Amino acid sequence: MNKQTQAIHNIHEADELAQRDSFLISLHPLSKLLVTIVYIMTVMSFHKYDWNGLMTMSLYLIIIMITGELSLLGALRRLKIVLMAVFFLGIANPFFDREIAYSIGAYQIRFGMISMLTLFFKAAFAVFASYILIKTTSIEDICYALQKLHVPSILITEIMLIHRYLIMMLRETQRMFQAYQLRAPGQKGIHYSAWGSFVGQLLLRSMDRAQRIHDGMLLRGFQGTFYPNIRTYRVGFSILYAALWCIAIITLRLVPLFTIIGRIVIH
Amino acid sequence: MSKIEIKDLSFRYLSRTKEQNPTIFRQLNFRASENESIGIIGANGVGKSTFLRLLVGILTEYEGLLQINDLPVCRENLTAIRSRLGYVFQDSDSQLFMNTVYEDVAFGPKNQGLSDAEIQARVTKALEKTGISHLAHQPIYKLSGGQKKLASIATVLSMGTDTLLMDEPSAALDPENRELLIQILNELPGLKLIASHDLDFVYDTCQRTILLSNGIICYDGPTKDILTDQKRLEENGLRLPLSFRFRNLNS
Repeated sequence: MNKQTQAIHNIHEADELAQRDSFLISLHPLSKLLVTIVYIMTVMSFHKYDWNGLMTMSLYLIIIMITGELSLLGALRRLKIVLMAVFFLGIANPFFDREIAYSIGAYQIRFGMISMLTLFFKAAFAVFASYILIKTTSIEDICYALQKLHVPSILITEIMLIHRYLIMMLRETQRMFQAYQLRAPGQKGIHYSAWGSFVGQLLLRSMDRAQRIHDGMLLRGFQGTFYPNIRTYRVGFSILYAALWCIAIITLRLVPLFTIIGRIVIH
Repeated sequence: MSKIEIKDLSFRYLSRTKEQNPTIFRQLNFRASENESIGIIGANGVGKSTFLRLLVGILTEYEGLLQINDLPVCRENLTAIRSRLGYVFQDSDSQLFMNTVYEDVAFGPKNQGLSDAEIQARVTKALEKTGISHLAHQPIYKLSGGQKKLASIATVLSMGTDTLLMDEPSAALDPENRELLIQILNELPGLKLIASHDLDFVYDTCQRTILLSNGIICYDGPTKDILTDQKRLEENGLRLPLSFRFRNLNS
């Protein structure tokens, strides 16, 4: 499978995953969006040296990944580039913040190293939480939740159109790449001499198709507002889910669970 | 009541110089009224699709008179015109953009502001009519070319329009689905305009046919007369429909 096909497959797979029949998917998207926002804000609120406290927040991710039947390896594979980028965010910290935090035998752990790891895990947890939300909620459901939060409809329409434009552009890329490969057998990738015309054609073709799709939407009465497809949700469970998780996340933020467990184990 | 009126219509695609883009239509005249089924035929590039695109207001830079139900086709009237006029694209991928067939068929009725129950009834009826009820919750990308075509037609049927414009509707359909489409179109009330290269399809669905050539309508009359006129068809880059050729061979 080439990269374009893989990318299209990933988007469709995400859409299909979000249509499955499971507890998490049956919940109202607003409750999932709310929990995700609370989780990300809580994760971001940790002090840069509060490594222990931050680690307790991984419990949410573990529990949701299990209940949502999501594969950790699959998630790591999909997010590897983002995680690598995130890793480089704090790479300079150990060089600037050289004060010693702990000594374990001959090894010294500096505050810079802790802040680097904290920064990495903060970003990684936020990325994983967003990933879980996307995997368990279709783009229509997310937009519906945003609509409920009174996010301007123009923004919601933009999100939905970008999602569709992305697929369409990938399909055009796939078509052009296949046509190129069939007439350039044995060649790896696209020869640099064809890059200019390839990108130019891709832009023109995808814009042309986008225009036709937009015409099609206008012909069917589209007037700037995208009405997300509203399914039947378990409202009672959704309220309970949001309430319990918000309480749990705030409790985990206030109570250093791992430190307490560590102390109990040592004693 | 659906009605189309065209008087002295001229159109050319916009470009820097007139030489680059020749005139597509010159002083074209046409009239269609309720319950007519009209075929639009002509060689490649004569403007069959352009003709339909002008009618639905995708192209509005024309000269002359172009009225749908007594409303001139201009930006101000597009909402009113399009609420009563359905257009099936030649390329189904331009028509279908939602995730599933159901969502796509429901897109038009939703924009019409109908209630959920009414939307569901319209969608169910359109899917039943096109014989694709079993595909309702299929993702669009998993459909075959023929299924996409039927889904495209369902998206327009669900809007309950009284005028239907179709660009190459039989393209990508297998014989069984083609027959189904002929049946649907023949049962469907209202005005229908069908642009097609499939002359047998035009013969089976349209009582009246117009032949476009060199920017004008060079024939407007009963379908049977034009489709049996071998000389005229060949002069305009067309050939006798296959069914007539076989009939000639047998006789």
